[in-house]
Amino acid sequence: MQDRLLPYWLLIPAFIIVLATTIYPLAYSFITSFREWDLTKSRRPGDFVGFDNYIYAASESAFLNSLWVTFIFVITSVILTVILAMALALLLRRKGPMHTFTRIILILPFAMSPALIGVSYRFMFNPEFGVLAQGLGAVFPALQGVPWLADPDLAMAILVLTDVWHWTPYMTFMCLGGLASIPRETEEAARIDGASNLRIVFGIILPQMRGVILVMAVLKTIFALKMFDQVVTLTGGGPGTSTETLAYFIFNVGFRWFDMGYASALAWILTAIMMFISIWYVRMLLSERKMTTA
Amino acid sequence: MKRSLAYVGERALLIFISVVVLFPIAWMFLTAFKKPRDAYSLSLNFEPTLQNFVTVFSEPWNLGSMVMNSVIVATVTVVIAVPCAALAAYSFSRFRVKGRKFLFFLILSTQFIPAVVIVLPFFLMFRQLDLLDTRIALIIVNLAIVTPFVIWMIKGFIDAIPTDSEEAAMIDGASRLRVIKDIVMPMAAPGILTSSIFCFILTWNEFLFALILSRRDAVTLPVGLVSFRTERGDLWELMSAAGVMITVPIFIMALFIQKHFTRGMTAGAVK
Repeated sequence: MQDRLLPYWLLIPAFIIVLATTIYPLAYSFITSFREWDLTKSRRPGDFVGFDNYIYAASESAFLNSLWVTFIFVITSVILTVILAMALALLLRRKGPMHTFTRIILILPFAMSPALIGVSYRFMFNPEFGVLAQGLGAVFPALQGVPWLADPDLAMAILVLTDVWHWTPYMTFMCLGGLASIPRETEEAARIDGASNLRIVFGIILPQMRGVILVMAVLKTIFALKMFDQVVTLTGGGPGTSTETLAYFIFNVGFRWFDMGYASALAWILTAIMMFISIWYVRMLLSERKMTTA
Repeated sequence: MKRSLAYVGERALLIFISVVVLFPIAWMFLTAFKKPRDAYSLSLNFEPTLQNFVTVFSEPWNLGSMVMNSVIVATVTVVIAVPCAALAAYSFSRFRVKGRKFLFFLILSTQFIPAVVIVLPFFLMFRQLDLLDTRIALIIVNLAIVTPFVIWMIKGFIDAIPTDSEEAAMIDGASRLRVIKDIVMPMAAPGILTSSIFCFILTWNEFLFALILSRRDAVTLPVGLVSFRTERGDLWELMSAAGVMITVPIFIMALFIQKHFTRGMTAGAVK
């Protein structure tokens, strides 16, 4: 008798936490997104203004710029991370002391605080005394005296670099997990038949890794959309607004200009984008699983 | 001949990868032990000093209080999140309760909510309750990020435990709660430990919440980094010393769970 309700009792503590810490704030910011509320003028929320905050966003160039910046950042960092992780996993799945050593140290970038990663890359790319700025200048004379973080495109490139450096290890571990689960017989048979390494990778291994690659790409997209820490510590959104991602823009609207209504609306636009991708992700996974179990 | 060339190429590639991974970390560690004058040169020939660590732990930087904040916030978050998550994970793993799929999906989907959305209402609420710049505020918001993640991870570990011994114990008349306490939890212990360390790392490195919700008293280590950006410019040698303090405990923990890393990560995502 008591056992019948037990499953629910077990769920309750965690469920209360999730309800209070995510569902409630979500609802609250959703309501706020339809209000006018300038925190510098009033401690209480202002009038309901319908969709005004959303309509304003659609015409504000700073918001549209942040959408574009986010898009560029997400695309480049996802593509680079997935390709690099796949290549690294193919290299590291072999056995050997150096392979093991590399696998072990790969955990370090992932464990490092992203804010600190931003700080250390900022230091290394300082044009005067940054070790990478100087080192690259010494090896490639064309890169001497390049003002790395003061150039919009280069600043974006370094921002992507820090993110790829941080996430590639995690994704490599996912790939290694995927590689370990595919049967090796086909690969060995092809090798005996004299197929080249390239053909084995593209013809046999990658097609079987489709599911894992899909999961990686979607997860990485979500992480990239959320990325915030390095923007603060590496570029501060600059130069100008060239690295002002959507998450950073929302932060500015909310906590520099204290426009709570508009910030909530923007936050919900970001949430909607992420929810759309997540739902698409879950559906894709379900259909993928049906295919494999059928 | 061709074989040995490939062999050399592979080693060279592995060395290159290790350098790319280790160099930024090594450079930070070196800088932390340099005198200010040496920090602004690229020379490797310098006299190491502990002065930077002495400086960051004294006025006006007070890294010690930031270390305390980080330790307390991360520890309390783990202590609250992990037991609750473990119970929920067991329930999700073993029972077919009504609406189970929907609940699990609901909890998972909160993982995909941007932190900015969560922090905005909390900022307003904490302001009202006078809780801004307190550790309690940081613990509450960190639970939001960490709890769903830990449920997901521990469920992966519990799914992998066979149910035979549980059923045997129940036939012998043990209650479900006893089974959880005496059979399941000991078997899931390595997984729960791994998840706890993960949860600790996530909270320890958390930046956005702490940046917005703390000013002076509750500042954690990652946010403390920003304070070394002064009117005199960035104080790199002090930032590096603070960076060493942030990374050393986390690196030790990460290397400790390295073996379980792949399993813990992929169990949640692929299953």
